[in-house]
Amino acid sequence: MSDINRLPAPFGRLIDRNQPVSFEFEGRTITGFKGDTIASALCANDQWMISRSFKYHRPRGVLTMAGQDANTLVQLAEEPNCLADKYPARNGLKVRAQNYFGSFDNDMARVVELVHRFLPVGFYYKTFNEKRNSWKFWEPIVRAMTGLGAIDPKADFHESYYDKQYLFADVAVIGGGPAGLAAARAAAEAGAEVILIEENAAVGGSLGYARFDAEGLRAPALLQELSPEGVKNLNIMTGAICSGVFSDNWIPVIKGNRFYKLRAKSIVVATGSIEQPAVFRNNDLPGVMMASAAQRLIRLYGVRPGRSAVILAANDDAYGAALDLIEAGVAVNAIADLRPTLSSSPLVAAVKARGIAVHAGHGVSEALYTRKSHISGAVIAPVSGEGALGAGGFNAPCDLILMSVGFSPAGQLLHHAGAKFGYCRDSHMFQPVSLPANVQAAGSVNNVYDLDAVIADGKRAGLAAAKDAGCQVGAIPAAPTERGHVGRTHPWPIFPHARGFDFVDFDEDLKYHDLINGIADGYDNVELLKRYSTVGMGPSQGRHSAVTSVRVVSRETGTDIANMNVTTQRPPYTPEKFGHLAGRVFDPERRTAMHHRHLELGAQMMPAGVWWRPAYYGAKSARSTVIAAEVKAVRENVGLIDVSTLGGLDVRGRDDDEFLNRMYTFSYTKQPVGRSRYVLMTDNSGVITDDGVACRFHDEHFYVTATTSGVDVVYRQMLFWNAQWRLDVDVANVTAALCGVNIAGPKSRAVLQKVCTDIDLSAEAFPYMGVKTGTVAGIPARLMRVGFVGELGYEIHVPAGYGEALWDALLEAGKPEGIKPFGVEAQRVLRLEKGHIIVSQDTDGLTNVWEADMPWALAKTKPFFVGGRSTEILAKTKLVRKLVGFTLKNAADPCPEECHLVLKGEEIVGRITSAVNSPSLGKVVGLAYVHADDAAPGSEFTIKVDGGRRITGVVTKYPFYDPENKRQEM
Amino acid sequence: MSNINPANVDPAGLKRRSFIYRDLAALGAQFGEINGGAVPLGFGGTREAELASARRLALADLSVMPHAGFKGKGTAEWLTAQGLNIGPDSNKAYAQAGGELAARLAPTEIFLLDSLAGSGALMNRLNTAWSWAETAPRPQQGYPLPRQDSHGWFMLAGEFAPEMFSKMCGVDLRRDRFADGSIAQTSLAKMSAIIIRADRKGKDGRAHAAYHVLADIASAEYLWSCLMDAGREFDIKPVGLTALQDLES
Repeated sequence: MSDINRLPAPFGRLIDRNQPVSFEFEGRTITGFKGDTIASALCANDQWMISRSFKYHRPRGVLTMAGQDANTLVQLAEEPNCLADKYPARNGLKVRAQNYFGSFDNDMARVVELVHRFLPVGFYYKTFNEKRNSWKFWEPIVRAMTGLGAIDPKADFHESYYDKQYLFADVAVIGGGPAGLAAARAAAEAGAEVILIEENAAVGGSLGYARFDAEGLRAPALLQELSPEGVKNLNIMTGAICSGVFSDNWIPVIKGNRFYKLRAKSIVVATGSIEQPAVFRNNDLPGVMMASAAQRLIRLYGVRPGRSAVILAANDDAYGAALDLIEAGVAVNAIADLRPTLSSSPLVAAVKARGIAVHAGHGVSEALYTRKSHISGAVIAPVSGEGALGAGGFNAPCDLILMSVGFSPAGQLLHHAGAKFGYCRDSHMFQPVSLPANVQAAGSVNNVYDLDAVIADGKRAGLAAAKDAGCQVGAIPAAPTERGHVGRTHPWPIFPHARGFDFVDFDEDLKYHDLINGIADGYDNVELLKRYSTVGMGPSQGRHSAVTSVRVVSRETGTDIANMNVTTQRPPYTPEKFGHLAGRVFDPERRTAMHHRHLELGAQMMPAGVWWRPAYYGAKSARSTVIAAEVKAVRENVGLIDVSTLGGLDVRGRDDDEFLNRMYTFSYTKQPVGRSRYVLMTDNSGVITDDGVACRFHDEHFYVTATTSGVDVVYRQMLFWNAQWRLDVDVANVTAALCGVNIAGPKSRAVLQKVCTDIDLSAEAFPYMGVKTGTVAGIPARLMRVGFVGELGYEIHVPAGYGEALWDALLEAGKPEGIKPFGVEAQRVLRLEKGHIIVSQDTDGLTNVWEADMPWALAKTKPFFVGGRSTEILAKTKLVRKLVGFTLKNAADPCPEECHLVLKGEEIVGRITSAVNSPSLGKVVGLAYVHADDAAPGSEFTIKVDGGRRITGVVTKYPFYDPENKRQEM
Repeated sequence: MSNINPANVDPAGLKRRSFIYRDLAALGAQFGEINGGAVPLGFGGTREAELASARRLALADLSVMPHAGFKGKGTAEWLTAQGLNIGPDSNKAYAQAGGELAARLAPTEIFLLDSLAGSGALMNRLNTAWSWAETAPRPQQGYPLPRQDSHGWFMLAGEFAPEMFSKMCGVDLRRDRFADGSIAQTSLAKMSAIIIRADRKGKDGRAHAAYHVLADIASAEYLWSCLMDAGREFDIKPVGLTALQDLES
């Protein structure tokens, strides 16, 4: 196969004949040139059938050459549902058609067409609404027989790089046709910064392929005249598609693998119009296409669209297409013009002068075909009434039927922006009748078709947009009065055929009578009919079926079309890939200063919010062993854990203690400098939200710790409340600025003393819950004696930049004692042995102080704290659950897991929040919510563990380990 | 330059360490000692090559260079009393006599960046000057913030910087829309960041585009990798302090 339909230069303004390309289609080699689309190269190689239809598996080919229809959806090796008339041809592509069984040329599933009478509109509703069980049988068959492309999950996956970028402009002009070019130039020359977005490879729109005069000179001249190249302030994006318009002119633009987020002060929508098909029998087969599609093939890609043609006309544009065909060497056998009398346009005269047979008052009733995949003729018949063709028809042989019967505005983006559309009786088209602020419409989307008027309208819109964007602009010219919109679109280019296959919607294989039957079934509103029949719900989203649907519903229901509208247009205008939406995923993470030291020590890292923390140090296969060893090291020797993720807040000012009094449940007014105190935060409803310690380093300075995941909320709460209270305090979140370690274990003091010489670490000078500042290994540090793990220990917080040096120094100092780093998992065991709760693990979104059994954390005398009033009220209500410590009645029972259920009889009354097989105690210990009546020590309760097995827990006082707290206070 | 120990020091041999020193070393950084830490001075290229990168698009890590902050009632007044030039507008960086910048983030919050000489003289003087008054009621003079350790400090230089930023940040940072000295407190790669435009002025009068990027130190590795990734299409290169200083030659 070779490109036998390729026309010589100057046809083909987008292709570079010096750069040949070659790819495969259905295993056949296709040759083309750089600049070709897959479809244009296929057509050049005489491959007109490109896909099979959705339901009936009918052959389909080029319809628009503008990426506006589903006929050219093809399967690439790495991507399904690619528009072949937009996708650039390139070397090495492997292209397959979609939706066929057996071979593409002899699709066995075309048998469905023979039983089309048994597949009425609303088939699914009618068939499966009452016989729902039968769907289970039919579903796999239906799914296999219909549909579009497929993703092969077994194929080699090659990750593609998608990303996003913000764009900024005063004025965004969407559409680079004559109106858009004129608008962009006018806005830029008025001083606005302009972005011109054009979905095709080159700007120009219809100037690049359409014929506006008999000589064919006007378009090229205007293209040169309106060229945006070199215009100051004007940026051009070609090959970029705007998929929506959102509030405040937020515009997504897709180009290649990049998703642009454009914010413009004002926009001009100059997206043009979409040529509409006529309805006649076999109007869907390869060889039947829009006149503009043929012109695109000829002018843009240098491809002859056929050898002999019939043109179905209803406007003068058809005659421009006829002249183009003649110029391209295509024999124009006949023009069937739906209009009873021809216009006096020079284009018509030029066609007549070439001896072309023009049949006024005639239409095409049927496309004939002999080859399975291509048409071979047209049946031309006289128009006998609206939508009716009479006797006296004749056959005209051809392999190409062009449809030039009218247009519809490509107004999707205007709809997204909030524009209102109404029906224009003069032009038989919908048009924008009101636009939102800072949005302009120009050109044929604005129902302006005369070329001079289009350019004038573009200039008007460009200047108006520049003014909207704040530019100094003089008087805005009025919209052109001579718009050339009348006579472009036939009011009823619909000629249903007795033998059917007169398609209204090519995507969904919907025929004229499918709409009629849907309306007869009671779905007599376009929105209802859309959902019942699926008209307009295919990939082209009604671009070629919406207006016909409105016309049909209007006539069948007797509704004035002027009171109707097309169905709602929602973004996106074109499909957006998940890759575009996801983009280059930004997923911030936080690492402590010692992160790489943990990795070097073989740590298994685990996420803690956005932080990474070492879970334990050692192989995953030895998890329980290494965790037990880490616990043992802390209990018997000395361990070191990175606690940098702990939240840290500096609260400074004259009212620092009063501020904490209001924020937390305890009292801090009398807390001496050099001491720390537990903090427990509740929200307005009395629910526990966070905890930590408040370390008083100065009478006007508390350093307050918070949980890793809670500190940001605590910080926001502090700022919120202080904005109300206006106390004299300043709150600073210093979480990242200070990193911390906890050196814990009976030998921790001995190790620390080696590197901390300016602080007396003795129990007398630095007792439990004491805080001091000094230096550790020469690094300025805040030291706190706290007991989360229940052993003698010191938390050391230093500026983050020194964190790694601190870690290094402590490990080096502890070598003789055999210091061992321990991770979060060991810390969880250690704290549970001590019965310390973890807020958000042992509490939930309902837990209050009474349920958590923490009334000891309430100050009794202070007048207020956030959640205090609720806590008082809750004290007077009957508790239904309570957090208790527990062990197992039978030591042989398995250790329960978090969220295993606690039962009272068969009723769920609580859950396990924490449980561990304690290495230090040699038994299971844990915390659980049990029924309040079962909360007394010694009470038994039922735990439902894995597999539904029930075991018995025994409520036990905690701390489980060192209940007298002697070890942490030594 | 007297503040810089030009010997190729080992970052792990110093107590103050950038969170990304391993990444920098892997890229071939040659470090000098500043402020008790290691700052990359260069990456092994010729002076001309690194300068060219800095003019095109380059990223530098200045995290161990002196930076500081003050916040709270009385901050601006106290700093003014200390001799600093603190202008009235927030989101504006004010140049100081020694080349430092006082970035006014809010009426009561100032972020201080040392000059690229890295002497730290101003920060040291201010940190020494600030102390709690002996007795209450104490004067309102703001409070020092640990900005040296809360924020990593990168500088993105070069003509493609604004375009690169637009891949990660929704603020229009183009040079004709974001004046020299402007501050954007915004989201960069989905994390909070402070971006300050701070062009480097050559002796020939040319201004070379440069932006300070200040963001959570704990996410420094993440942000560095995002910036390098976003800059790949513009051939971004890591550069050292020397190239940034050379922009002003």
